[in-house]
Amino acid sequence: MSNALETNKLSKRYGRTWALQDCTLNLPAGRVAALVGPNGAGKTTLLHLAVGLLEPTAGEVQVFGCSPLRQPTEALWRLGFVAQDTPLYKGFTVAELLTLGHKLNPRWDDALALARMQKLGIPLERRAGKLSGGQQAQVALVLALAKRPDLLLLDEPLSSLDPLARREFLRTLLDAVAESGLTVLLSSHIIGDLERVCDYLIILSASHVQLAGDIQEIAKTHKRLIGPRQDEAAVASVHTVIEASHTDRQTTLLVRAHGPLFDPSWEVQGVSMEDIVLAYLSQQAGARLPAPPSAREQNGIEVLK
Amino acid sequence: MIWLTWRQHRLEWLMTLGVLAVIGVFLLMTGLEMANNFRQLVLGNCLGLTSKGNPSCDELIQAFIKQHGFLGGASLLLALPLLLGALVGAPLVTREVEQRTHLLIWTQSITRMRWLTVKLALVLGAGLLASGALLPLLIWWHSPSVQIFGDSFGASVYDTSGPVWVATALLALALGIFAGALTRRTVAAIFLTMVLFLAIRAPVEWLWRPNFETPLTVTYSIDQQNPPALSNQDWQVASGYIDAQGNRSTDLREGCTRDETLTQCLQANGVQANYLTYQPGDRFWTFQWIETGIYVGFSVLALFAAVWLVRRLN
Repeated sequence: MSNALETNKLSKRYGRTWALQDCTLNLPAGRVAALVGPNGAGKTTLLHLAVGLLEPTAGEVQVFGCSPLRQPTEALWRLGFVAQDTPLYKGFTVAELLTLGHKLNPRWDDALALARMQKLGIPLERRAGKLSGGQQAQVALVLALAKRPDLLLLDEPLSSLDPLARREFLRTLLDAVAESGLTVLLSSHIIGDLERVCDYLIILSASHVQLAGDIQEIAKTHKRLIGPRQDEAAVASVHTVIEASHTDRQTTLLVRAHGPLFDPSWEVQGVSMEDIVLAYLSQQAGARLPAPPSAREQNGIEVLK
Repeated sequence: MIWLTWRQHRLEWLMTLGVLAVIGVFLLMTGLEMANNFRQLVLGNCLGLTSKGNPSCDELIQAFIKQHGFLGGASLLLALPLLLGALVGAPLVTREVEQRTHLLIWTQSITRMRWLTVKLALVLGAGLLASGALLPLLIWWHSPSVQIFGDSFGASVYDTSGPVWVATALLALALGIFAGALTRRTVAAIFLTMVLFLAIRAPVEWLWRPNFETPLTVTYSIDQQNPPALSNQDWQVASGYIDAQGNRSTDLREGCTRDETLTQCLQANGVQANYLTYQPGDRFWTFQWIETGIYVGFSVLALFAAVWLVRRLN
C-alpha cells in the first residue's frame, strides 16, 4: 500500500532549539493515525511541515509523493488541515465560510458541507465568532472534510472541547472516514479519546519519533513482565525494555518484544495503550530508543510456560 | 480569491468611500465658492502683474485670502494616504497572523503566493483608484489659488495635485503591508508604517525635491536692493552671496554694523554679487514624475520585501 505521508530525517530548528529532529516515518494510506506526545514535543511542527506551512531545516516530507512546500499546487488540494484551536474568520457567517471553501478548492463538496452543517444543527447565517467552541471546531472540520482531501491532518482538535463535543467531533470524523476512506493524522497529548478511533500510533517525544506502527501490532508486541527482583539485562539483550521498576522483591518491566519470551519466571500481562504511551513519553530524551522497527519486523510475543 | 478579498476588505472599502465622499463634498462646496470669487477677480482684471498696486484688486485678493484661509491646510490631506497605509496596509498580514487564520487560508488549495498576489493586486488597485478618484477634484480645487498666487511648488498644492498624490497613497499602502509582514503585530506595524512613511517622505520633500534638476541661478549686483522678480510660478530654492573666488555662501562672515549701508557691509565681507537659485514653474510636471518614480521605486522595494517575508513566514 502506498504512503499518504512520508518523512525522511525531517528536522526543524527554531534558532538553537530543535523542534523536530531526524523524524523518519511513513503513514500508510487509509490509516487513522494518532500522533501522540507531550506539549512541545514537535507535533504541531510536524503537522505544519506536512501541510507546507513550514520549511524543513533538513530532511524532507512528502504527501502522496509531492513536497507540500515546493509543489503546493500538486499537494495542497489533496490535504485537509485543521489547525490548533480551529481558527476561523470570526466575522464570516458559516455560509460565507462555505463559500470560501467553495471558491478556493477544486474538489469542494457543497452537498457534503451543507448536509453536515444541517446534521450538526449549525445555523448557516450565524457568524463564526458567535458559535460555541465545539461548533467552531465542527465547522473547521467540515471545512476540511468538504475539501475532499486524501489526507486530513488535525492538530489537537479535541483539546479545547468538552467530552460531549469531543464525541460528536470524532463521530463526524469517523463518518467521513467510513464514507471516503481518507487517511487521517490527528495529534493529541493524550491517547484516551483516540484509542477508539485510531488504528495507527506515532509517539513523538523530545522532538524525536519514539514509536510508529499499527496499534494492534503495538498492543501485541508490548507486554508487561512481572517477576522476582532481578536485573533486566537478560531481557534487554533480546527485547527492548521501555520501562523498568523494582521493588524489594519484584521487578516490573514494560518491553517491546522482538520475539518469543522463553523465561517462565516472568508473568506476562497485556498493557493498555495509555500505559504504553506514558512509558515511552517518560523516557528521558538522552536515553533514546533505537529507531522504531517497521511493522514487518514486529512479531507477536509468545510465552512458553 | 477575489471574493474572499472583497469579503475581508469590504468594510475598509466602504469606509474609504465614505471618507472620499465627505472630502469630495467639502472640496466641491468650497471649490465652487472659490471658482465664484475667482470669477470676480478675473472680471476685475486683477490677475497678472499689471494689476499690482490696484487698490480694489488688493482688496479683492485680501478678501479671497481671508475667506479661503483653509487652502494652506490642504497638506493635511497627506494624512489620508498615511491612514490608508496604517489601517488597510498594515493589518493585511497581521490580522491573519493574529487570528491565526493564515493557517486556515494557506492550507486551502491555492498557494500562499497566489493568495498574496491577488490580495496585493486588489488592495493596491483599490487604493490607487480611491486616491486617483480624488485627484481631478483636487486639481480643480487648487486651480483658482494657483492662478492667483502661483506657488504650485508649495507643499499644499504640489503634494496633492499631481501623480505624486497617487504615488504617495501607493507608498503608504506598500509600507503598511511590508511593516505588517515584518512585525506580524498590528500595533507595531501601524507604528512602523508611520515611521517609514515619514522617513521616506521628509527627506525627499526637503532635501531631494529642490535638487531633482539643477536649479537655475540668477546673480545680481550688491547695489541692488531687491532681487529680480521671479514669476510667481517659480520656486525659489536658495539665496546668498558670491565672493571674488566665485564661492557661494548663505551667511556673511561678519554681521553688519548699524552705521554702514548694506552695500558697504557686503563689500566689507568680500561679497561680489548676490545670487538666488530657483526651479522654474514649467518644471512642475517633470518634478511630479520624478518624485512619482521615487515613490513607486520605494513601493516596489517594500512589496518585494513583503512577498519575501510572507513566503518565509511560519
